[in-house]
Amino acid sequence: MNIFVAFVLAIISSMLMDNVVLSRFYGICPFLGVSRKVNSSLGMGVAVVFVIMLATLICWPFYTYILVPAGIPFMDTVAYILVIASLVQLTGLFIKKYSPSLYKSLGIYLPLITTNCAVLGVAQGNTDQGLSFLDSIANGLGTSIGFLLIIVTFSCIRTRLETANTPKAFKGLPIALITAAIMAIALVGLQGLFSGIKL
Amino acid sequence: MKREKGYTKKNFLKGIINENPLFVSILGTCPALATTKTLEAAIGMGILFTVVLICSSALVSLLRKVISEEIRTPAYIVIIATFVTIVKMFTNAFLPDLYSTLGVFISLIVVNCIVLGRAEAYASKNNVFDSFIDALGMGVGYTLALLSMAFFREFLGTGAFAFGNIFTFIPLVKVQIIPKEYVMSIFQNPAGAFIVFGLILAVLAFIKNRKEEYKAYLARQEKIRKAEEAKKAALATAANKEEGGNK
Amino acid sequence: MSKDLTLVIAIVILTALVAIFFISFVAYRKTPMPKGCENLKMDQEKCASCSNESCMFHKKEESEDNK
Repeated sequence: MNIFVAFVLAIISSMLMDNVVLSRFYGICPFLGVSRKVNSSLGMGVAVVFVIMLATLICWPFYTYILVPAGIPFMDTVAYILVIASLVQLTGLFIKKYSPSLYKSLGIYLPLITTNCAVLGVAQGNTDQGLSFLDSIANGLGTSIGFLLIIVTFSCIRTRLETANTPKAFKGLPIALITAAIMAIALVGLQGLFSGIKL
Repeated sequence: MKREKGYTKKNFLKGIINENPLFVSILGTCPALATTKTLEAAIGMGILFTVVLICSSALVSLLRKVISEEIRTPAYIVIIATFVTIVKMFTNAFLPDLYSTLGVFISLIVVNCIVLGRAEAYASKNNVFDSFIDALGMGVGYTLALLSMAFFREFLGTGAFAFGNIFTFIPLVKVQIIPKEYVMSIFQNPAGAFIVFGLILAVLAFIKNRKEEYKAYLARQEKIRKAEEAKKAALATAANKEEGGNK
Repeated sequence: MSKDLTLVIAIVILTALVAIFFISFVAYRKTPMPKGCENLKMDQEKCASCSNESCMFHKKEESEDNK
């Protein structure tokens, strides 16, 4: 089995089987808060993909080639949050200054991403589990695309739920959470999809 | 500054009931779903969270006159990240089982909206003691919320309560209440977390709706009573007038 | 490279990160809103309870931006 297939399989498995929101529980806040409209969830999802990829590309080398040789691997959380927050601010600054149209569609979601667990969770998880650089990229890509996929799907369901006849006590968040539970059960069905493939 | 009586008590209790961070404000949902598989993990998460919240609130409140308005948020993020690192190292050293159970979620306290939110909304404007009480109340409220979720998940998912798996310094105790054949293991899965959280929120919304309906009902009754009284009074005055006219 | 030197480099980089973070934060705030983006909004029902003031959708911040 060559590296490329392993890479693709790693992406798919962290995208679907081990989905960020529905089985690893990162980024529930934007998942519940920004999923009212399909457009806003799409914007949020794309912004998250961008920031997660950049953060993965910076954090892993930073940890491996600077923090570990210096003997201060325990500073990882501080370093990651600094990297992520600066990245978000710099990207926002750049977009704000040079591309108003992009700012209009993506810019407003950027400040929300600093406090999105998914970004820090991926960066931290990569180094905590001791993944290689290639695996980290696969994990970052899979996780962020999985987030985009789930948040857009969920917002489509929620727009239908708004008009559905739900019991009064379940209106709003409770029914959304039950829907998320059913989606999680559906994804459990994919578990073991690659178990026959020998890597 | 003038303080009303019982302010401290109110300040403490608001975090537990009226402004419960998890069930009322719906903040900090990620660890609430991820670390409530067992009661022990929930207790551990709650305690670590409370420690970070108290320390960062106290320090932010202490430095509230030093940190200028412009750089507040980044300064708070650095402060919180520092405390999380300290707590993480202590957990790794003294409670390695808890550390491996919670995993990434200890680091994720940094991006928990509650900590930053309390620092910005409360600690940056109030003195150290008030901020401490506020943080303590919020921390206890969050811990209790986590515990109530973990209670249902562990009870329905395994049919037993087990202690001593994570906090290894106490002896292992396991009480099986539901026979193993009848447990619903879905509550141990991620889906169960969403179901339990959704149902708890629904029950709270139901209670709130009931209260509002009851209030509306009382108001309506009062209105009817007043209308009737006014009618009676009007009738009485009319009768009086008639009587007066007859005389 | 000796360990002490790498430690010094790491600390310098971390300090630089802190500085970049603070500067970028202030610069982001000071950059004016591009045209046509002054009134970007999202449904705020959920966000009213959250007190994260660095978030754009926080009500206080919005009133400042609209000035």
